[in-house]
Amino acid sequence: MTAREIVDLIKKNSGITWNERSTRDTFKMGDPDAEVKGIATTMMTTFDMLKRANQAGLNFVITHEGTWWNDRDDTKDLTTNPLYIKKAEFIQKNGMVIWRNHDGMHAMKQDYTVTATLRAIGVKGGENSSMRAPVLPFPEATLGEFASQVKRVSGIRAMRCVGDPKAKVGKVLFGPGYATPRMTPDTDVVVGGEQQEADGGFDNVEYVADAASLGIPKGLLMLGHVVSEQPGMEDFAKFLQTFIKGIPIQFVPAEEPFWT
Amino acid sequence: MKPAHISRRRFAQIAGSVAAAGLPIRGTTALTAQAVVERLQAALGGEWPAAGLDGFKAGDPSTTVKGIATTAMATMDVLKQAVKVGTNLVISYEPTFYGRQDGPPAASAAGRGGGRGFGGVTADDPVYQGKKEYIEKNGLVVFRLHDHWQSRKGDEMTAGLADMLGWSKNRIKPDDVLFEIPATTAEEVVAQIRKKLNLRGGLRAVGDRKAAVRRVMLYPGAVTPPTMWQRYTEADLMIAGEVREWENTYYAADIFSAGEKRGLVTIGRVVSEDPGMRACAAWLKTVVKEVPAHWIGAGDLYWRAV
Repeated sequence: MTAREIVDLIKKNSGITWNERSTRDTFKMGDPDAEVKGIATTMMTTFDMLKRANQAGLNFVITHEGTWWNDRDDTKDLTTNPLYIKKAEFIQKNGMVIWRNHDGMHAMKQDYTVTATLRAIGVKGGENSSMRAPVLPFPEATLGEFASQVKRVSGIRAMRCVGDPKAKVGKVLFGPGYATPRMTPDTDVVVGGEQQEADGGFDNVEYVADAASLGIPKGLLMLGHVVSEQPGMEDFAKFLQTFIKGIPIQFVPAEEPFWT
Repeated sequence: MKPAHISRRRFAQIAGSVAAAGLPIRGTTALTAQAVVERLQAALGGEWPAAGLDGFKAGDPSTTVKGIATTAMATMDVLKQAVKVGTNLVISYEPTFYGRQDGPPAASAAGRGGGRGFGGVTADDPVYQGKKEYIEKNGLVVFRLHDHWQSRKGDEMTAGLADMLGWSKNRIKPDDVLFEIPATTAEEVVAQIRKKLNLRGGLRAVGDRKAAVRRVMLYPGAVTPPTMWQRYTEADLMIAGEVREWENTYYAADIFSAGEKRGLVTIGRVVSEDPGMRACAAWLKTVVKEVPAHWIGAGDLYWRAV
């Protein structure tokens, strides 16, 4: 099977009217008509991830986020960039093909980036959620205890927290990646990937810090963009296995690159 | 944002209003927040359109100023400290009311901010109300000074950060972001930054923590991908306020995977801007001499789970 044929199968099986005008969900490099030896699903086509996929004999990478370090994967300013050249050469030399599935995944009735992360951070009730998860209850705890639990069960290393660690909390609103939701009146803790820290549409960081100063129990957990959606690509690999047979399909995670 | 040239008419307006405020005569005319702002507007120059980001965000501009506090962000904790040290005009680089809109939407736009969209805070929000009441009860006035400080005094944000990190004398070229510091390692630089900026949980680094560091770049605020692509390899360590993780952070991660030892450290947007507002307090003292000007850092608002 070719990469293009696999992409057509994904479009047919996602249960949505595919948006063919998406600038994100396109082939990023490699020959779409190349024979696929194995599929690697990942959160982001990092150089490190490409090396591991290649080592595992997987030449078709399905990535949720970009390859060329900007949302539109625009490469016109990168053609003479040494890192771009190195990474592109690696992809081409090893006959790899890259296709992004971002908008399509978030449009699915069940958004794996949401359902899998809610499971990974130990919050129940969002098993069939779309991209816009409802506010979900969890056993009441202090914000510090809840943050510790999220860190422990998810294995995320560089999570950042805002709010009073002693505040009693019991309702969480989650959004994946850059879709960190704004705090709402019926939410105690917002959990997201990343968000501009200030001067954006709604600045959660300042809001939650001020709530703490006023004695209003609110919290914010910023997991990191990639780790906040990454478990969804493991579930997506399992989803692919239900309609693509005879080709190895593996989840190859992007690294959480931080030290603190 | 490019520096705006002050028009002749606007200059006359500002000069006129400064003169009308009668500021040089101490003790005879109360120094209002409006008068202080007009004086700093005249000193910074440029156009100050009513629809711009900079302007009064809370309080009564006719309030008599006892003292001025500058900060990267007028959080509740900053406001409390401002009151404690006897200042009542707070000059904030970032918004006060949770976003660029800096408060509830105008009545005509009501309804747009509902749901989980990214409209501003709602007028009945308890945190918004609590903060607004605190400001009113304590007679505070909050003015946002962002675009004009950045465009007219663009280098102060970088110079202020370098100064707090003890690197003022290490700059390679004037007005540039590149510094050469005594040979050390990435984790040593991070330890220094943590100590000097009094950081808590917001710092994250990418690359080899043992990497040798001589050249560093300072980017208070945010760094865009094109800037990063152009300049990243000029230094051993890029130190920025914030970046987009799925863009810049993984550029740094990929460079590291490609075998280069250089690294990226993000310290947090607000903490990276605090030092530039310390420089603003020092500058204000040269423009407004009648009342004290203090810097109150907003600080690192993040902590780490244990």
